[in-house]
Amino acid sequence: MSTLAELPTFQASDYKSDLKPVWCAGCGDFGALAALHRAMAKLQLEPWNTVVLSGIGCSSRLPGYVETFGFNGVHGRALTLAMGVKASRPGLNVIAVGGDGDGIAIGGNHFLHAARRNLDIAYFLMDNEIYGLTKGQAAPTTPAGDKTKSTFWGNPEPSVDPCELAISFGATWVGRGFSGDPKTLTELMTQAMEHRGFAFLNVMSPCVTWRGDDQFKILKAKLKFLPPDHDRKSRAAALAYTRETDLLTTGVLYEVREPTLVERIEEVRAKGMKAGPVTSTADVLRAFAPAF
Amino acid sequence: MPTKDLTIAMVGSGGDGVVTMGDLIAQVAAREGLHAIKTEAYGPQIRGGEASCTVRVAATEIFAQGDEVDVLVVFRWADFARFRGEISVARDVVILVEAEDATPPEDIDLGIEGRGLSIPVPFTALAREAAGTTASKNVVALGVLSGLFGLPEDGLRRAVAHRFGRKKESVREANTKAFEAGVALAKSLPQDLAVRRLEYVPAEPLLLMSGNEACAVGALHAGCRFFAGYPITPSSEVLHFLSEWMPRAGGSVIQTEDELSAIGAVIGASFAGVKSMTATSGPGLSLMTEMLGLSSMAEVPTVIVDVQRGGPSTGNPTKGEQSDLFQCLYGTHGDAPRVVLACSDVEECFHATVDAFNIAEEFQLPVLVLSDQSVGQRKQTLSASKLEHIVRDRAKPTEAELAGYERYRDTPSGVSPMSVPGTKNGMYQTNGLEHDEFGSPNSLYLTHEKMNAKRYRKLWPIRDRYHGFSHYGPESADVGIVCWGSSGGAVREAVAAANARGEKVSAFVPHVIYPFPKRDFELFLAGVRELLVIELSYTAQFYKYLRTFLTLPEGRTNVFKRSGGKDLTATEVTREVRRVRSIASSNEMEVMV
Repeated sequence: MSTLAELPTFQASDYKSDLKPVWCAGCGDFGALAALHRAMAKLQLEPWNTVVLSGIGCSSRLPGYVETFGFNGVHGRALTLAMGVKASRPGLNVIAVGGDGDGIAIGGNHFLHAARRNLDIAYFLMDNEIYGLTKGQAAPTTPAGDKTKSTFWGNPEPSVDPCELAISFGATWVGRGFSGDPKTLTELMTQAMEHRGFAFLNVMSPCVTWRGDDQFKILKAKLKFLPPDHDRKSRAAALAYTRETDLLTTGVLYEVREPTLVERIEEVRAKGMKAGPVTSTADVLRAFAPAF
Repeated sequence: MPTKDLTIAMVGSGGDGVVTMGDLIAQVAAREGLHAIKTEAYGPQIRGGEASCTVRVAATEIFAQGDEVDVLVVFRWADFARFRGEISVARDVVILVEAEDATPPEDIDLGIEGRGLSIPVPFTALAREAAGTTASKNVVALGVLSGLFGLPEDGLRRAVAHRFGRKKESVREANTKAFEAGVALAKSLPQDLAVRRLEYVPAEPLLLMSGNEACAVGALHAGCRFFAGYPITPSSEVLHFLSEWMPRAGGSVIQTEDELSAIGAVIGASFAGVKSMTATSGPGLSLMTEMLGLSSMAEVPTVIVDVQRGGPSTGNPTKGEQSDLFQCLYGTHGDAPRVVLACSDVEECFHATVDAFNIAEEFQLPVLVLSDQSVGQRKQTLSASKLEHIVRDRAKPTEAELAGYERYRDTPSGVSPMSVPGTKNGMYQTNGLEHDEFGSPNSLYLTHEKMNAKRYRKLWPIRDRYHGFSHYGPESADVGIVCWGSSGGAVREAVAAANARGEKVSAFVPHVIYPFPKRDFELFLAGVRELLVIELSYTAQFYKYLRTFLTLPEGRTNVFKRSGGKDLTATEVTREVRRVRSIASSNEMEVMV
């Protein structure tokens, strides 16, 4: 992410757009949005060189509330759009946001492959363990047994931990945050945006409307920080903090440096250029002339 | 009198090298300035299995694969039998058959009733003797073909040496010997085939290119610097070619996890200001239709090449068809403007792709290029001089437009100023949601009506400026054919042949399918007595499409449609034209399907 080290030109409020969020009062996404504004200010991201992309869902409305370039795409496809932006314009700061249904259910395949490619963007997933916009159906992150609008007798399916998926598929920065702890969340978002490679931050962002207004209280009671001696370079150590049920451990679970998608594409381009750059269509057409 | 037009089909098993034979003949033809079209067909096996390769070589320009084979090379009759109904031979066909398998099984009916000439040739024995390996029997066959039919002998000699020179010197030598053995054998044969020899005057070398490659080259020419795609037959050659050449042009290629991701990445890159494209076939387009609508709604320039194959579902992956028309015209929910272009041959694949970029970039919408297996995978000769096409770039917003910037301003043309990330005063949020002129989500009826009108208004200038079509034959005709895409080649040849016989037959082949060049077509219709619609779609999608905005002449409209799976042939077109001329009443179909 590009930064300006000198005088802070941009305040957190400069990243705030004029649109009023459509979210319910008390929604966890307000905390995530405020943390994002502050993290962007910390990094002094030039708004016009920053793109925030999303899919569909409550949290996917977020790009509209950030004063940068924004793309509110279609359900589950935020990461595909983000890949096109970053791969074609590597100089831009690219941030993808969305919910657990968007990113893990309908967009699950793209999530795995963005992690595998080490696509150099930050991806903030606001995990509320439910479908909010469609009014309260079970998500892949909804705990088994939970009663929702679509699981009248209780959720018959087990849930998944998005952090575990990200680590398993090759993400090079994986963190977990809580929108009820905006200070830590701001710090985590800042680090995620600074990371070179696919930075995945799962933000527990309670849905007070469909998961109950005691969600903040429940999650706060589970909240814990990673111990200072946690080895974030160790995949095994990171995985030990996934699939938690009684705890909500926040912090940077995993961080390694691997070649990014953009770096690998640049490597390929260098190989091609070595074979001879193409400066005109005539250069290409020579490949079709008989060789003898 | 020697011939100026020769179609040779070669049939064998995977290891027999029939495709190599076809490649070399087509390349040598291109080198000598002859015109050639080469097609291949395979069984369903991934490797091995039966393979056929057909090359048509002609002294004059050709537009379709020869529909009747003049010369047939058969290494194994059992392999030929697997292409039953797909290889038609001329009544005076010359068959060069492996001597060890000289007698066709009884169930093979070539439909020539004992005519034609069958010459057993000991390909395998000669290869073993001359080259020390039976693997060179295809090169022996090349020598025989060259000697008997006047294919450029020196050219083939050089081609064989070049092809096998990449391997060990001994391999090159062995194959050269195999070639000479074939040439010598041809000279020793008692049959007099002088009338079957190809007569031509060498000319400037031509290029040899497939339609898929032409789409890729067109993209590079247009300034495309980002390609994302998912492998799918019969379009993968676009991905293959660009994976080599795009990086050399400074661009990027990403093979995505699926077609959803491919079109998403293309829309993302285009949003970021880089000309972008994807290529796919029907099943992939089915997935892409989701974001086709996003491209329409968010008004992001998007180019999609659809190399059609037989459908529905997995369908006929290796065979062409013209049945993706409705999906391209109407696919995706909502009222989603797009432009649909079509290509009838390799050269048109290049031009359609460049046009697709020019239209997409200027009018900010998705443009589909409809190719098909027949055009996409054939190799065809063409002159480099024909591959020129003006390139238009996306307009940048002016300072005035950036003051109080409205990304989706409701302008008279419908085209709004589009800024790209990095533009200081040009920030906006784009949306798959209906939005106001700033791009903010807005679900009011009045906004939706206004923005729909704005998005569709863009089609009018496109129709006025891009109404390309080909008109073959006289202005006034007894039978006027309308067709599109790969059918155009066979129709063009049939029209030329009919005109040469003094018959008044003409054809209208639109290059732009949507918005349709309606006025041009109405002028064409005015000069036509009987209209004949021709297409390879079982449900006659094109005919139905025409009827959505045109009143076709009552009692004078005829339809010839059939499934794909086999290219349309000039012979079929000629037969249909004759039928239409001879019957009193037309056969406009009852729309049962």
